[in-house]
Amino acid sequence: MMIELAQSAVRRSLATNVLIALAAWVIAVIVYAFARNWDSEFAMFWAFGITFGFVLQRGRFCFASAFRDIFLLGHARNMKGVLFGLAVGSVGFGLLMSQQVPNTALSIYPSTANVLPLGIHTALGGLLFGVGMVLAGGCVSGSIYRMGEGYIASWVAFLGVMGGLLGSAHTWNWWWRVHIASAPRVWLPHWIGHSGALAVTLAALLVVYVVIVWWEHRAGLVLSERARPVETPLSVSEHLRLVTGRIFVEGWPVVVAGGVLGVLNVLLFAVAEPWGFTGEVSRWSIRIASFVDASPGPLAGVGFLPGCVLMPAEGLFFNHMVFLVWGMLFGSFATAVGAGEFKIRIPKRTVRYVQSLGGGIMMGYGSGIAMGCTIGAFFSAIPSLALNGWVFAVFLGLGAWIGTHAIRRIA
Amino acid sequence: MTNKTLDVRGEICPYPMMRTVTALKKLSDEDGGLEVVTDHAPALETIPTQAARLGYQTDIEENGVSEWRILITRMQTEVGS
Repeated sequence: MMIELAQSAVRRSLATNVLIALAAWVIAVIVYAFARNWDSEFAMFWAFGITFGFVLQRGRFCFASAFRDIFLLGHARNMKGVLFGLAVGSVGFGLLMSQQVPNTALSIYPSTANVLPLGIHTALGGLLFGVGMVLAGGCVSGSIYRMGEGYIASWVAFLGVMGGLLGSAHTWNWWWRVHIASAPRVWLPHWIGHSGALAVTLAALLVVYVVIVWWEHRAGLVLSERARPVETPLSVSEHLRLVTGRIFVEGWPVVVAGGVLGVLNVLLFAVAEPWGFTGEVSRWSIRIASFVDASPGPLAGVGFLPGCVLMPAEGLFFNHMVFLVWGMLFGSFATAVGAGEFKIRIPKRTVRYVQSLGGGIMMGYGSGIAMGCTIGAFFSAIPSLALNGWVFAVFLGLGAWIGTHAIRRIA
Repeated sequence: MTNKTLDVRGEICPYPMMRTVTALKKLSDEDGGLEVVTDHAPALETIPTQAARLGYQTDIEENGVSEWRILITRMQTEVGS
């Protein structure tokens, strides 16, 4: 009885939230309609952004914790979701790329897939990004969805990312001249064919899965995701309430979220390009910098590269990518409000702002030289059957390990 | 025996879990248990596992919008085992 009373009190306070969430979803639809009148591509990217934000928030899908928790806790909950998303993405990307480039013997790569120059910049970028995401408590996509949930520290981290991207833009021409221009692009299908590359990628993902399951057992007890007791029998309305609750209020099992993100990534690749956004964020920082004469000037070679390569601030401010990034943020906000998980969260300890900003700067610089973040250089690169995705991943892991040692020392 | 309280609202990931573990390790026999107040949803997955590894059980209660109270108490060991 006591519990029922407490629950009804919670439900009452949730009701306001549901109203705000409904209003937010109506606004999302209105923006979609306006965008569609403007340019149908804007509307499509807005819809993708909203959906990505929705799934990231529901799955609490966090690449930083996927890597970090392996070292910090011996848990691989999030990493399992990431691996499943990578496997789904690899199959879809593999099929699409076999249509785009049937003859792999020629040195032609699918033009939009994230087959990126591979070199020291990939490794250093991954390392910096790995340390940064653990310090800041979230990667770039993680920070964007947490900005929507009301985490003030994530806004600080995002500012850091913008600063780091600007820093990488100022050193880009050096990197280009010394390393990137001559760095090889290694697309696995060119060497072992489409099916061979897909088979090797899926096998490698399976090996990683087996290793992390073994690692988890080594660390000892891991409780399964929160149990959800169901009282039977259910009436039709109770059943519907249960289902909507599982979709919109309770957190999703992370493997479901990973799989859905993998499918969305394949769809986005099919209609436009793989998921990624740090190139777009760099365009914002470079544009802002140009107002105070801090623009890095022309960036060598960026016009020839796919992925989230730095973008010069030219042309109009509005493009399809603006809708993707703000769509992710807004989608997460609307979802979090509906689930009763939105709250302005203000860290009490000053050091949190310092580590969020510093971690953000490291992530920004790392994703600038590696031409992508955990999405563009990893979640979209491994499915592109490109070796750069794996190298970036190894150094992300190394960085996360260093970062884990660092946060243990920061109280 | 009274419960100690740990307020980790506003904290960034993964500090709600890390500070809970630190507090659990400092609990003395006189303390009944630990009550953690958090607004960080991912901690609802990580704290129960870390607590169980240290021999504690957890009980999560929704404490209003986007706030949870996690009551962590010692697992009852069976008599004679």
